[in-house]
Amino acid sequence: MVKALLVTHGNLGDELIKIAEKIFESEIDIASINVDWRNMGDEVSNKVKEYLHSNKDSDIIIFTDMFGGSPSNICFQFVSKHIEVITGVNLPAIIKFHTYRNKGLKFKELIELIYNDAVNGINIISDYLGEKKNG
Amino acid sequence: MVEIQTEIINKLGLHARAAAKLSHLANSFNAEVSIVYNEVRVNAKSLLGILTLAASVGNSITVITEGSDEQEAAATVKNLIDRKFDEEK
Repeated sequence: MVKALLVTHGNLGDELIKIAEKIFESEIDIASINVDWRNMGDEVSNKVKEYLHSNKDSDIIIFTDMFGGSPSNICFQFVSKHIEVITGVNLPAIIKFHTYRNKGLKFKELIELIYNDAVNGINIISDYLGEKKNG
Repeated sequence: MVEIQTEIINKLGLHARAAAKLSHLANSFNAEVSIVYNEVRVNAKSLLGILTLAASVGNSITVITEGSDEQEAAATVKNLIDRKFDEEK
């Protein structure tokens, strides 16, 4: 099974998981590491390492909240054949991951699916409504 | 193929929790299940697909099912929508 870890500023990751659990009305198996202004750096890096080590037999997606932010920068070093980092996590990304993690997709295929839906989840509503009106 | 028209009658429309229930239900059938609104057709087995419809209360949608259990799928999905997704008394 593919595993997921959220590494985000503050408790954003915990909140995203909670909201997704509300939506699905079930528990969601995603881990979370909160990065606050006092523990950036080695402490976070060590926690991520611990998680990766204890799940070393799985493919792992690390979701971070913002490209260029500390959580992302800390996690980039861990990218490998079995570990990917997706930045800019949002609810569509979490929902897609939870829905498709057990569907037998190849790791790269799952990553592509999640990426596409996360990006498609960002819309300028007046443009979107315009498209709908214009068919 | 079965095609049923129905109206969204729950206050919040096809929002996230309703879409989760609908997609979960749709996934329990072998039949393909689609929802059409405003000439846009989406796979009802996809929560995020349903959300892209942005269908609100009062909107008329069409449930289309195709497959071995299409009759039951269409009726059950319509029933969930008509029950306001069990989120209102």
